[in-house]
This record gives sequence, structure tokens and C-alpha cells, in this order.
Amino acid sequence: MKAFNPTKPLKGIRIADFTVHAAGPFSTHLMSMLGAECIKIESSKRLDVFRKPHPVYGRMTAASFAQVAANKKSIQINLKDPKGLELAKRVISISDVMCESFRPGVMERLGLGYEVLKKIKPDIVMLSISAQGQTGPERTYAGYAPLFGATGGVGTLTGYQDGPPVEVRHVMDHSSGFNAAMATLAALYRRKRTGVGAHVDVSAREVATSFIGQALFQYSATGESVHRQGNDMPPHAPNNVYPCLGLDKWVSISVASDKEWQNLAKKMGDEQLLTHAHFTHAASRWEHRHDMDLRIASWTRKHTREEVTALLQSVGVAAFPSYNAQDIADDSHMRQRGSVCDLSSSEGETRRVVGPPWLFSRTPASLDTWTPKMGEHNHYIFGELLGMSETEINQLIEQKVID
Amino acid sequence: MKDTPPLDGVVVIENAKGVAASYAGRMLALMGATVIKVELPGTGDPLRQAAPALHADLQADALFAYLNVNKSSVTLDLTQSEGQKLLKELLARATIFIDDTYPDIRHHQTLTPESICALFPKLIYVSVLPFGALGEHSQYRGYEINAFHSGGEGYLMPNGLALEMFPERPPVKIYGHFAEFNGGVSAVCATFAALMVHDEVGGQWVDISVQDANVAVGCFNLQQLGEGTLEHRHERSFKYGGVLECSDGFAENLTLEQHQWEGLVTLMGEPAWAMDEALKDPLERSRQGKKINDHLRAWAKTQKVQDLVEKGQALKIPFAKYAEPADIFASEQTQARHMFSDIDFPGLGKVAMLTAPLQFSLPSTLNSCPNTPGADNQRILGQWLQHKETDLQRWLTQGVV
Repeated sequence: MKAFNPTKPLKGIRIADFTVHAAGPFSTHLMSMLGAECIKIESSKRLDVFRKPHPVYGRMTAASFAQVAANKKSIQINLKDPKGLELAKRVISISDVMCESFRPGVMERLGLGYEVLKKIKPDIVMLSISAQGQTGPERTYAGYAPLFGATGGVGTLTGYQDGPPVEVRHVMDHSSGFNAAMATLAALYRRKRTGVGAHVDVSAREVATSFIGQALFQYSATGESVHRQGNDMPPHAPNNVYPCLGLDKWVSISVASDKEWQNLAKKMGDEQLLTHAHFTHAASRWEHRHDMDLRIASWTRKHTREEVTALLQSVGVAAFPSYNAQDIADDSHMRQRGSVCDLSSSEGETRRVVGPPWLFSRTPASLDTWTPKMGEHNHYIFGELLGMSETEINQLIEQKVID
Repeated sequence: MKDTPPLDGVVVIENAKGVAASYAGRMLALMGATVIKVELPGTGDPLRQAAPALHADLQADALFAYLNVNKSSVTLDLTQSEGQKLLKELLARATIFIDDTYPDIRHHQTLTPESICALFPKLIYVSVLPFGALGEHSQYRGYEINAFHSGGEGYLMPNGLALEMFPERPPVKIYGHFAEFNGGVSAVCATFAALMVHDEVGGQWVDISVQDANVAVGCFNLQQLGEGTLEHRHERSFKYGGVLECSDGFAENLTLEQHQWEGLVTLMGEPAWAMDEALKDPLERSRQGKKINDHLRAWAKTQKVQDLVEKGQALKIPFAKYAEPADIFASEQTQARHMFSDIDFPGLGKVAMLTAPLQFSLPSTLNSCPNTPGADNQRILGQWLQHKETDLQRWLTQGVV
């Protein structure tokens, strides 16, 4: 068993991870890459739904389970059995962080609410991540990413000006997980400074709302409601995605200043654009952006997205290909950074995965271990960490407490 | 002590011109840090300049206010050596430095992470750039739309109803600065991680790439590739459900679980088409998605959004309203959760602003809205760094501050 890496930022931090689906597991996955020992607690009676395929997606493979469960240890506890509950408490008692994503109220019903956990481990940091938050009249409303994207408003404001709202999908889940990791880290740091634990309450719907905070401030200040605006982002003009050579190949281009605009127009070789009164200043470029988009698109169509990117970046104009998953897997820049890397199993299987999204000069984060099989670490956690004997563990397996 | 914010007493110097780094500064400020924003003398942060060109649209102002709440502002011209010297005086008193200057410009302004970390071994230098500070694309410029498309989600948007209506259009982005805010959150995670080992290892530099943050939140995409599926916006719409147009707005519906589908059939009043035995099988529902959608959409048009949400949720069916800004303010859930706090905004009086999307033992508080560039020069450069009034005047004349 791999010991803690002494150079990791979260060395010595242990997480009892009861989360399922996407948001919660992503948050603990991030903390595991920072060096926390993350114990995923599951039961064959109540599988993580994301292990299973969902036909409504039209595909028969599991969603993001393999990625977000990687770097974790897996144990099985049947929480419906009183002995299972006791076992869960023992795991929590040797942990610094407890994460859960049940519907609000379920932890209390199980006897694992924050007040109980504080008795087991006085300085515990408990993360509760839910669709609506732990309080309020809608706290028990069911939700998946597109739903809290809708209620939170970011889905409402996303879409073509003349079209319907758009579902914000897994990135909404994972953004909630990112925010949850941020809040948990903040609570851990506060615990380090003050010795006091916390119950961190992250609502995915509120995370969705945080992405439109500026629109809400505008509404509250002026009474003007922002609507869907396609790819527009005033005062940037142009600010769009343009077709390039090849099937379904696109390049994004964004211009914030007159200087950047002049550089773009020069590279397009369009003298007329450079001097045209409609395009010389930001405000008039914005006004005539649709006309400008047509001119830019007729230029980009003749080039590959890589050519456009290289040409424009050489003069400081923001341009980048619209990447699909294959482009991400093949990107040598991210491979250099380790944010995309290869992960190997002990059985020699290798998979390209998302690595840690940060580089630390002294305490590097890393993705080290393959997605565990369910219960793979039962003997290590119950035996080595909790000091239970083999006989005791096997008995609990027979009694379907460890199940 | 229970109510002590996590970063009480921690000083952060933020040299940010972009959204991601400013958002990171916002979150640190909301968590109790003293955040001093360094801006260009005169015009200040370029994000301040956005609004006047489009006077009818206050959005740029709103964005700047949202990003810079609870911060102080000093102005320094970092192209001048005296400006650089003053910045270093600030850094000598700080724990954290957030910077989004491109690497080539850092070099000219003597701001490279290596040199700053050598000067201030206790400092945590958080570099936030569209593609990071290391690697072959580190000099690439990037704004929101570039970052969003570099992370893979841009290529996959829109889906569902919007894509059916406009299959030939270019992909559409998520509203606002989704990719850049995620970059900011990533930077805050790394900042706390570095703080956790600060006593032990001292300062260090942390290299944040907005692209990396977005590839991480889009990790589903890479996993699917490994499973043999190249995700594409034309392939990934839900087979049925999704965005539903109702008589008075839009609702979202998703039935992943069997009991949710059964609840939906009940809610629709058990119409004959839905009672088809074959549709009890989730695979068959997936295959007959289009037919289900035709019926579901026709039915939804006769319904009111709020009715669907309330009756649906009572049956544990995931239904949600596509909420407009006004709905969010009016929502009882929003109010019960104290998501907004009033701040004094010059010329507008008290205005409600979203605080932070997370709660510890207490909600975050908003204290001050952003002031004019350099509003705190006197207090910070004069009183805190103890420079004489005559020096401040001289720097003002020379354009250093």
C-alpha cells in the first residue's frame, strides 16, 4: 500500500467519502490529487449510480465513474445495517473530512448528521453537497446538472438569442464539485488555524447562480434583465466561433482592443476592413458584429483552425481551435503540464485521463492510482487502519455488513 | 472562533487584468482575506473600461463590481522601475500574490515567478493564465470564448432543443465567464492547498491554467473517448425529456431512474401511449425517444412551469424551471438561504449582490463595492507602507501611481 507522499499539500488528511454521482465524487477526486487519502464508501445494495449506464443518455457505458473514482480507495459498508452504521462511524472517527451528497435530511435519519459526527470527531469538516442546499423550502427537490443549471439561471441565459435555453451538462456537476473542493479546503485551512471544524453546505443550484452573478447585479441595480445572447460578450467584438477547413472544425476568436483588431485585420489581409468606419472602434465593431462575423468566416473557411490560431497568436490576438476530446487527448501542451496524462493499472491496462489541473513548484499534486474495484481496500481500511482482525472482517462480510 | 473567516488577517496582492484571476481574488476576499488590487494608473483595470463604449449596457460595470467587491485598489505603473519597487514593498507584507501577466511581459516587469519567489521565500505566487505559465502555449492570449473552447465543452454546446432548432449554427457558449470563473475557483483551491503546507515548506509558486481547469470539469469527455465514444453535440442530447416549452416559459425534465419515469407517466395522467408495456424498459424508451418527446412536448405546452415543478417534485420527478433573474430574487429558496447581500453602490444606493455559493457556519458578507482606481493609494502606500506625502505626490506626477 502506498504511504502518504510527504510532499503533497494535503498529506495526512483522510476523507471518508460517501458521495455519489458526479459533483461530490469530483470534489473528493480533486482533493485526492492534492494528497488526501480518500476512502470511497459504497455498498452493493446502493451502488454509485454513476457506475451504471443510463439509457436516457443513449449510450451503454458508465458516465464519469472511472475518472472521478481514480486515486481513491474503495470499501463496502451497508448503512442499512446497524453494525454498518457503527462501522461507518469508526471510519469517520479516523478521518479529517466527511463528504456526502445524500438528499438533505438523510444523514440525520441515518444517525450521521453533523451534530453526531462532531461527537465522534470534534473537529471534523463535513461537506454536504446537494442540489438545493441543506436549508430552505425546496431543500429536498431532486436535481441533476441540467436542472440546477435551470433553477440557478445559467441555463436560462445560455443559448442563441432567438432560441430556447440550453442544458448545462456534466460541466455543471463538476463545477459544483470544484466549488465544493474550494469550500472544503477553506474549512480545512481554518481548522488548521483555529482547531475548529465546520459543516460546509454547498448547493449546486447556487453554484449555477454564481456563474450569472454579474447579470443578477445588473438586474438588481437597473431593473434590466439580461437575456440569452449567443456568443456575444460585449464589448469584445469579434467574439465568436468561426468555421475552418475540414468537417465541423471551428476556431474561436476574441478581440478586446483596437490594437488587437488591427492585427487581426492585417493578418486577414483585408485592407478594406482596416479602414472601414464600421470597424475602427470597439463600439462600432460591436454594432456591426454580424457583418464582421461574415467577413471573418469567409476568411477562416480557407484555412485550418491550427493555421488561424498560429497566425493570430503570433500577433497577440486571442484565437484557439474548438477542441473535441481527441484534440484534448493529443494536445502536447497539456501532456507537458500533466493536466492530461496516462494512468496504468496494476494489471497493465493504460488509459488517458485528466490529471491535476495545477502545477505546484514545491508540493506537486498527482494522479497515482487506477479506479479501485468495489471493496478493493476493505482489508487495508478495516484491518490496518481500524485494527480489526481477519476473523472479525470476514464475519462482517458474511453478515453482509461489509457488502 | 467559530465565526472566524478562513483567511482572517491574510494579505493578498492581486495584479489582475482578466476575469479568472479577479474571480479568484473575489473568493479570497469573501473568505476574509485583505485583498489589494493593483491597477493601471488612470484608467485602471481594463474591465472597468468595458462599459462606456456601450453605455446602454451596464453589464461590464456589473461584472467589474461583482468581481471586485470587498477589495482595495492601488494604482501602480509596473512598466516603471519605481512602480515595480512599490509592488515589491507590497509583496514583502503579503502571503499571497495573484498575477495574470503574460510570461513575456512578466519578464520585462521583473515579475517572473522564479525571481519573485527568490526575493520572497514565504510568498505564495499564484499565476493564473489562459494556458498556464509553462508549456508551448503559455504565451497564447485567450479570453472566455477561447478558454471555453480549449477545454472541450465549447464544441459540445448546444444540445437538446436548441440544437434541433439550429443544427447548422456555430456552437454556442455558456453565458458569461463560465470557463474563467472555473479557472478562478481552481486557483483558489491551489492557494488553499499551498497554505496548508505553508508552515512546513514556506512559499512556492502555483501555475494555474484556465484550460486545465476546464478540461478537468469536462473530464467526462476524455473518459468517453477512452470508452470508444467521441462526444459530439449532435450525439449527446437526452433521448427524451430535456428542455420543455410550457405555456408560460421553459422547464427542464430528466428521468434517469425507473421510478422517475413512472412518476412522469402518473403526472401526465397515464395517457395511452405512455402505458405501452414496451416503454417500461429503459432501453426501449431510449430507442423510442423521439416518439416520447413528441408526446411529452405536446403535453408540456399545455402546462404551466410552476405547476410542473411543484406537482412533479411532489412525485419525486426531477422538474425545474428555467429561472429568469427576477425569478431568482423572488424565489423563497433564495431568500431562505440569504444568497444576496446589500452593498452601497455610488449613484445607485443599496444594491443586492450575490455573495458566495457556499456556506460555512455563516454566510459571507459584502462590505464594500469597488471604488475608483487608486482610491486606496493614500491609505496603503502612504500609511501602510509609510511613504511620505511628497513621494506620493512625485509618483503621481510621474505617473507611477
